[in-house]
Order: sequence, then structure tokens, then C-alpha cells
Amino acid sequence: MAVKDTVLDILSDLTGSDEVKENLDTDLFKSGLLDSMGTVQLLLELQSQLGVNVPVSEFDRTQWDTPNKIIAKVEQMQQQ
Amino acid sequence: MIENIISQIDKIAEEHPERLAYTYEDHTYTFGELVTTADRIAHFLQAQHLPAKAPVVVYGEQTFAMVATFLGAVKSGHGYIPIDTNSPDERIHQIHDVAQPAAILATEHLPVSFSDLPIYGPEQMATVRAKGETDYDHGQSVRGDDIFYIIFTSGTTGVPKGVQISHTNLLSYVNWAISDFSLPEGIRCLAQAPYSFDLSVMDLYPSWVLGGNLVALPKRTTDNFMLLFKALPQLKLQEWVSTPSFVEICLLDANFKAANYPDLKYFLFCGEELTGKTASQLIDRFPDAKIFNTYGPTETTVAVTGVEITKDTIAQYERLPIGYAKEDTTMYAVDAKGNKVAPGELGELIIEGPSVSKGYLNNPEKTKSAFFRDGDQQAYRSGDLGFIDQDGLIFYRGRTDFQVKLHGFRIELEDVDHALDALAPVKQASVVPKYNNLHKVTQLVAFVVPKKHPADEGAYIADLKKQLTQTAMSYMIPQRIELKESLPLTVNGKIDRKTLIAEVNPS
Repeated sequence: MAVKDTVLDILSDLTGSDEVKENLDTDLFKSGLLDSMGTVQLLLELQSQLGVNVPVSEFDRTQWDTPNKIIAKVEQMQQQ
Repeated sequence: MIENIISQIDKIAEEHPERLAYTYEDHTYTFGELVTTADRIAHFLQAQHLPAKAPVVVYGEQTFAMVATFLGAVKSGHGYIPIDTNSPDERIHQIHDVAQPAAILATEHLPVSFSDLPIYGPEQMATVRAKGETDYDHGQSVRGDDIFYIIFTSGTTGVPKGVQISHTNLLSYVNWAISDFSLPEGIRCLAQAPYSFDLSVMDLYPSWVLGGNLVALPKRTTDNFMLLFKALPQLKLQEWVSTPSFVEICLLDANFKAANYPDLKYFLFCGEELTGKTASQLIDRFPDAKIFNTYGPTETTVAVTGVEITKDTIAQYERLPIGYAKEDTTMYAVDAKGNKVAPGELGELIIEGPSVSKGYLNNPEKTKSAFFRDGDQQAYRSGDLGFIDQDGLIFYRGRTDFQVKLHGFRIELEDVDHALDALAPVKQASVVPKYNNLHKVTQLVAFVVPKKHPADEGAYIADLKKQLTQTAMSYMIPQRIELKESLPLTVNGKIDRKTLIAEVNPS
């Protein structure tokens, strides 16, 4: 499965909403879809499902606040 | 033992005016500044001739202005109702309607307006804090059974309940906290919880009466992990007070360990269950620190039990104890008929003592069902299930009703049902917790029967969540909403929440 689909499935599962699949530029934090604890779950899922290890201390929320940004970040980290 | 919280803080300001009392990012405030600022607010409030002892709302975030206004209010003779800036407008209206406060002191811009009471805005309050007169009538200050603060918690009917905490209640808590956790004078303590949440009281007054410095960690910093982990080591904390959930986030950073936090020697947890796994990770990272687990409903003032958690405690118990009742407090467990059960047997925990609130503000019905007098002691039916062993060690095992804790926030599931039921597109709703394998609630799941089945389910769910942000606190909004044709019913015709709980938590 493409990175995009996996990320969207993770997000949809965590937020319990398909909005994340319909509007990939939706702000996950401002819309209340993700909170701090949800973010922790997201990082753990990215690690277990995609092998992407984001150190929590380097997690700048402003760079991860939409589905599109998260997909881009994950793809970039997988290439490194 | 201290006798009066306000005069103890005044005494520290007199003897050590240069000592730090509050730190907010790059700003520090001394005890001298704290007391002068509070005195100015007290002078100002007394000059308004508000009804005697009537509570006032203090609105703001985790700033010095907010806490100085708390102190100013009680000095002037008015208990305070803290409301955090993250509260939805509807919540502010509800608190206003229940509490009928004498005034609102807004340290930040208030997003709502009321015509029936004076509202002192941020500019006016800033002028008072900077330039006001400092003399006031000390004889009117909050003392004894006067109400010190009122904290609103989730109610079951969609209306929040205001827990009234008197000076006597708070003093009982503070004296216990400073002696049982053997906190040293001048301690530097984390202030992370918003002030509308009674966990914040766990650090605020014990630290101040010890001449200590509260170091605020604002929500916008904790929300962005990169900022959080940059800020944390610079706080030079000696004492940590938080929910277990918050420390679990911090433990995700491998650098969260004694080598980088050499002064951090005390961890106090309250608000939800501390798991053996978290406690054991903390002991490994901070081998020289003392870790205390505590327990207490807002109605009994912050916490009424405590115990140090060691490697032995973790090895001995599969679920950690919540501690022993504090010295001035009696706790016992009762069965469904209200009879005391034998040691080791499960029952509802009853809490009796000087820190138990007199009841909910302007809500005699709920007060009567939760509080009672036992001889000369005030008693509270906690609704928490637990047992007490032969030695008086107490263990928590769940709820007798549908109240849950999510990341430390107390939520009545009926309250969330109400918020959903009130939305136009919803016919019926029932909210249930999803637990992880450590008995912790990780998500709220709502089952919703729509009035008309939507063509686009995703848009319908997104719309419900959006509408909820107008009426419900953010932590009350279910993470998942699932649509159903109908909800299961019990034989009595009520929504069968237990069946729904089993559906989201398959064993």
C-alpha cells in the first residue's frame, strides 16, 4: 500500500473521521481532530506501520498539521 | 503546620520579598511583586462594593496576572471561579448561569458579554495591577468556612457543577501536602495544569506557602512537542505535578532522565490511574527521585490519599495503590445498601474529613445526593469503587456510575450524551469509553442515531464534531463517532450503555 493510503488510514482511525481523506489540507489541530495524546498515537503508528521514527523532541507541530504535510514528511524520511 | 494561607504568603513576602514566586517563560515575579499586585486587586475589588462574600469569575490562562488575581480576590473577601481561555463560550455561559457571580475579572479578552454583572477587562485590570492602591480591609479576607475557590466539573445533565472549597478545606489539603511529601522550603515546581482544573491547586498553594516558585508551562508549549522538549530542561524543576498521561508523553523523549534534570526529585501524580509501567520507567530514569501516587475527587480538595511508589510497590501489586487516607480524614468502603464492608472487600469509597466540600454551588439536589454529615464531619460519596486492606492502604478499581477520566479530565458520559442529543441532526446518542489493556481510557466513542440518514457520513460526522466545539470542552468531544440505525435498550427501556461498552472493548 502506498504511503499516502497508510497515513490516511492511520489518521482516519485515530480521528474517527473520514474528513482527513476528503480534505488533505485540513488543519488537524485547529479543527480539534488531533490533540497531544492523539499525536503520540500517530507517532507510534507511523513507527510500527511505516518504520518511520520521528523523535518526539523534534516533532514541530506546525510542520505536521495537515494530512498532506504528514504524507510529505513521511515520504521524505523514508528516502533518507 | 500553617494556620492561614493568605497570611502565610504575606509573611513570606515580608521576610523574603526578593524570592521568586512565579515564572512564566522569560518573566519572573517575586513574592514582593505577587503580594503587592494582589493587594492592589484587593483594594480595587473592595472599592466596587460587590455583595459580601459573593464569588467572582477570574478568566485567563496560566499567567502571573491570573494567579495574582486569585490571591487578590480572596484577600478582598471574594472566592474565585477560575475559567480557562480554552473554554468554549457555552461553558462560560453555563458557569455564569449556575454561579451568578458578582463580577468577572478578565485578565485576557473575554469572548462573551453579560449585561447583568460588572466585567473588568484586561486593560483595566492591567492598570490596577500596575498602579493601584494597596491598602484594603484585611478583616474581610477569606478565612475559615468562607469559600476560597469554586471549580466547575462535568455534570450529568449537561449543566456543570460548582464545587465550593473553603479556606478550611484548602488548609487541610495544604498542610497535609507539605508534610506528607516532605517538600523543602523554596521548592521550584512545575505548573502545567490549567487553573480551571483542580490538579493545578496541587502545586499552587503548597508551593507558595513554602516560599516556592511556580514555573508555568503554557498549553501552547505543551501542545507542540518540539517546543515542550526544548523548554522542559530549562525550567530547572525540583518538583513535578501532572497527570500520568502528561508524564507518559515526556517519557517518549529518551532525554527525559535524571542526567538532564538533575534537580528533579519529586513527582506527584493525581487525576487518573498511575500504571506500574509508567512508574517503573520513571524510577529507571530518575532513580533518586521520590514518586507519589495520590487520589482525590475535586469535592474533597485535590487529593486525600497518597503513597510513595517504589520498586517494591510495583513488584507487589498488579495495579498500584492510591495510598493511605491523610491523617485528618477517614475513608471506608460501603456496599450498595450503604453498609461498611470488611477490609479487602470492594465497595464505594466514602471520604470524611475537614477537606470535604460543603457541596455544589446553588445545587441543593446534587449536593444532597453526594454529601452528608456524619457526626461533626462532612462526608462525600465518591462514586469510586475500591477496597481498603488491613493496613489502611487503598486501591481504586473503577466507577459505580458512568464517569470516566480521559488524560486526567473528569467526564460524565451522560454529559457528552446531552451535548450530542442537543444537536439538531442527532436523534439519539450514547457515548462510551474505549480502554487500553492497562484499564486506561484512550478514546471516547459516540454511537449516534441520525434524524435522517446522511448521504455523506464523513461530512455529517465532521459537522457534529465541529458543532460540539461550540458547547463542549475539547476533552469531552468523542474521538470516534459511529452512526447506527438504533441503540440497544435495557429491559427498562434505557439505552444499554454496557452493551455498547462491550462492543468497543471486546475482551
